[in-house]
Amino acid sequence: MADQQKFFEVIKSGTDIDFIGTQKYWIGASITLVLVTFLMLPINAYVLKDRGHVLNWGVDFKGGTELVVEFNKTVDAAQVRDAMSAAGLHNADVVKYGSVAAAQSFMIRLGAVSIMTAEQAKKVEASLARVGDASLRKLDSSEGGDKIYLRFDKNLEANVIKDALKAAGTEATQVQSFGPPEDHTYEVTLIGMEGEVRKALDAKLGTGTVKAIPQVSSVGAKAGKQLQVDGVRALLGAILLIVIYVAFRFDFRYGPGTIVALLHDAVITVGAFAVTYKEFSLTTLAAILTIIGFSMNDTIVVFDRIRENAAKYRDRKFDKVVNHAINETLSRTILTSATVFFVTLAMNIFGTGVIRDFAFAMNVGVIVGTYSSIFIASPILIWLNEKYLAMQKRQAARPERNVRKPVRRDEEEPVET
Amino acid sequence: MERSWWWKAALYVAAIVLAVLYLLPTVAPNEQLPSFFHKYFSKRIQLGLDLKGGLHLVYEVNIEKAVSSKVDRLANEVDDALRKKGAEVTVARSGRDDIAVTFKVPGEMAKLDDELLKPYRRDLDIVSRDPATGTVKLKYDSDRVAEVEELALRQAIETIRGRVDKFGVSEPTIIKKGTDIIVELPGAKAEEFEHIKSIIGRTAQLEFKIVDDGSDYMKKVAASVPKDSPITVAPESWTEKHSGAQHEDVYLRVKEKDRDVLNKFIADLAGDLAVPNDREISLELMSPREVSEGTPDRYYRTYLLKKRAGVTGEYLAMADESWDEMGTPEVAFTMNRQGAGMMEKLTGENVGRKMAVILDEKITSAPVIESKIGERGRITMGRGGDPFKLQQEVKDLVGVLRSGALPAPLKKSFETQVGATMGQDAIDKAKFSMYIGAAAVILFMLIYYRISGFIANLAMTLNMLFMMAILAAFEASLTLPGIAGLVLTIGMAVDSNIIIYERIREELRLGKSPRTAVDAGFQRAFWTVFDAHVTNFVAGIVLYSYGSGPIRGFAVTLLIGIVTNLLTSVWISHWMFAVLVNRRGTVRTTLSI
Repeated sequence: MADQQKFFEVIKSGTDIDFIGTQKYWIGASITLVLVTFLMLPINAYVLKDRGHVLNWGVDFKGGTELVVEFNKTVDAAQVRDAMSAAGLHNADVVKYGSVAAAQSFMIRLGAVSIMTAEQAKKVEASLARVGDASLRKLDSSEGGDKIYLRFDKNLEANVIKDALKAAGTEATQVQSFGPPEDHTYEVTLIGMEGEVRKALDAKLGTGTVKAIPQVSSVGAKAGKQLQVDGVRALLGAILLIVIYVAFRFDFRYGPGTIVALLHDAVITVGAFAVTYKEFSLTTLAAILTIIGFSMNDTIVVFDRIRENAAKYRDRKFDKVVNHAINETLSRTILTSATVFFVTLAMNIFGTGVIRDFAFAMNVGVIVGTYSSIFIASPILIWLNEKYLAMQKRQAARPERNVRKPVRRDEEEPVET
Repeated sequence: MERSWWWKAALYVAAIVLAVLYLLPTVAPNEQLPSFFHKYFSKRIQLGLDLKGGLHLVYEVNIEKAVSSKVDRLANEVDDALRKKGAEVTVARSGRDDIAVTFKVPGEMAKLDDELLKPYRRDLDIVSRDPATGTVKLKYDSDRVAEVEELALRQAIETIRGRVDKFGVSEPTIIKKGTDIIVELPGAKAEEFEHIKSIIGRTAQLEFKIVDDGSDYMKKVAASVPKDSPITVAPESWTEKHSGAQHEDVYLRVKEKDRDVLNKFIADLAGDLAVPNDREISLELMSPREVSEGTPDRYYRTYLLKKRAGVTGEYLAMADESWDEMGTPEVAFTMNRQGAGMMEKLTGENVGRKMAVILDEKITSAPVIESKIGERGRITMGRGGDPFKLQQEVKDLVGVLRSGALPAPLKKSFETQVGATMGQDAIDKAKFSMYIGAAAVILFMLIYYRISGFIANLAMTLNMLFMMAILAAFEASLTLPGIAGLVLTIGMAVDSNIIIYERIREELRLGKSPRTAVDAGFQRAFWTVFDAHVTNFVAGIVLYSYGSGPIRGFAVTLLIGIVTNLLTSVWISHWMFAVLVNRRGTVRTTLSI
């Protein structure tokens, strides 16, 4: 036999921290954080005036247009915001984009996808009520469409319509008759948001200030809603599938702890976005799904050791077994979480846009996910185990031995179930 | 050394060689490689839209309008058929599917009988007959509605595909999602975004209408033009080539800038001068080279057209670039058989008259029909102006006509455009953060686990190699979230190694020999690692099926990474440990871990 080897260790072997004994403080902390999340959502929406939504939905959820604008000279966010509202593009979010050095880049987020907002549509409808001797029968504008349809009672020349629209403050790139001529319907293609934004900036900050608009994204409100629904569905679907897998690999007592831990992680990560009011986008959702995978990973490592030890030390009390298992895996837990945390921290510090948002969510999620396997999932497992044993006793039909029967890793199905 | 070790060695080496071969075209695209190599390994990792720059568009197909215009056409046909039978009717359309036919003489209602409706048996259902008012209500069959919707969607995709193909974008993606059409054009240039969007969204309705020349109505209109108006009245005449018959007509003209005056004049025609129901007055912009007399300015002139289109672009078989006698670019087209038949009938009946070629509601030309035209025809694009621009217009039109008209208007519901510079910036930053992350991890593993850490790093490098090779084999596109997925895979690889190594350390602490400790460590840690991978895989699959563009990219790299990581972190590194602890002849007493 070899001599006892010495290793480079962060957590000394034989460490025995009492996690389970102090669980009520940790659970209390978690409940507080979850409550903060649930409180923060309505506070964001109703109390904090400059926020106004439960979360800072990105364009992909909320619908709207997001543009990155590069300027030739140094301008500040307030100037850009002013230029936007002067052009009737209200509630524009203007944030610096990219690294600090590139101060002439801004990201502008607008609620509208097209220049034809409901308000503008009404205005157009009123001022086009009569064009020449034709009167407007119907204006079809879908929320966020880049086209509108005008139906008159007489045929009109495209240019006449174009000019009438211009007088109503709406610029069209193309007007053409649509459908059979007896319909007197015209399809109007509106200028894009980038055109509108460029115009607004030129008007306020001087022509030629805008160097380029290298990135434009727009999402219709309907598509945004769909993405929200899909997102929640994906989140719940992933949790459900993972829990089914756990129930299959372990046994039913291990299931609820994982569900609660996963929901806990998802909720608190959302909470971090609610408190910081960072943009919540599709990427954030991807990050949350990744966090769920990661947290699950963590929980499984701990649970795995608990099951192994429960089989090994049948005479010990279950909560002691759990505490011991957590301590045994602590070194791995800390090392893994720390490496993932630092890798994502590097992405957070040095990355841009999408990567940065993703990394921020990961930073929060890694901490919460590690914490939840120890302080949330494990106590629930202990509690359920107690309930289970009590139920077994009450039934008194089977000897207790059955419950403690070892479950081997390599067995296909847990014996108890 | 066990025999199985050698087998594994051969297998792993083969895998590595294969991976390198798959990666070669990506890493060294310009190297001189033997031709047989290109035959088998030509696939490359593509850069995604966010890295390369490009356009991502989602269109919603307005299928309601497609159905509605189909019912419009049916209403016109029924109208025609009834008029042919001598019934005086008004055909009114309402809603999306409803047609109401009202007979002037209610007794004639029987003329709308089964015989007449026979061709429309599957299309139209009779809802009610009201003998008192002489109104028959028809409704478009609901089964057909679904068919038309389906067809419109499929046709729209085909149309868009046809149009997109000519942009020369290397990897266009056009997919259907519900009633949405997603178009991705990575590598499209920022300067071309507007052009591309305008072409994809172009309706491209081509129509041919007969000019009603020599009408008394036009003469009356011409006579009513006020003296001081900028509108002038011009006569024109031409001789029929074969019969020698004379055609005389008058038209109104204004200078280009006075177009609105003419429009207003036409719009104001009322009472006796009101445009007849089956006629319309359209304008064409004429260029000076076409006029022998008058000012050199461009001007607008009127045509009195028969309202119903004789033939439409639906029946187009082919369109091509061509040049007229003077070398001006124009579009030559060929009709399909059905279209050619209709064109022959239309032109045969109207030899000597003019036929207006109308594209998207604008008259592009109105040549005299010299003889029956069959399947061939051409569209002139106007003269003068910038010849390069004209050439481009011709090219665009050819493309649009070839792909056909859109069956229903498109509505853009989602758009992302990324300029190439933005992409480059993102690549640099993502690369940098990846290097930093990877360097930190590699350094940490070396310091913490020493020689075993080296094995772990080697395994991670192989993991990266395999991942990239598989991405190349699938010709997957690498996106920013994809890079995030790669980085996350590094994290997972580290985790697997740590789980295993910590387990080995525990076994060593129990006093086991390195060899048994390594085997026990790998064996016991395997299921933990496996479970962890499966749960991540599940999350990855959900992400993939949720699948809008960027998230899909993340999910793909994650899924691939999970598989390759299991291979490298568990099997290959176990095999490498076998070398470390199990060298022939010597049994090691300590393990650098």
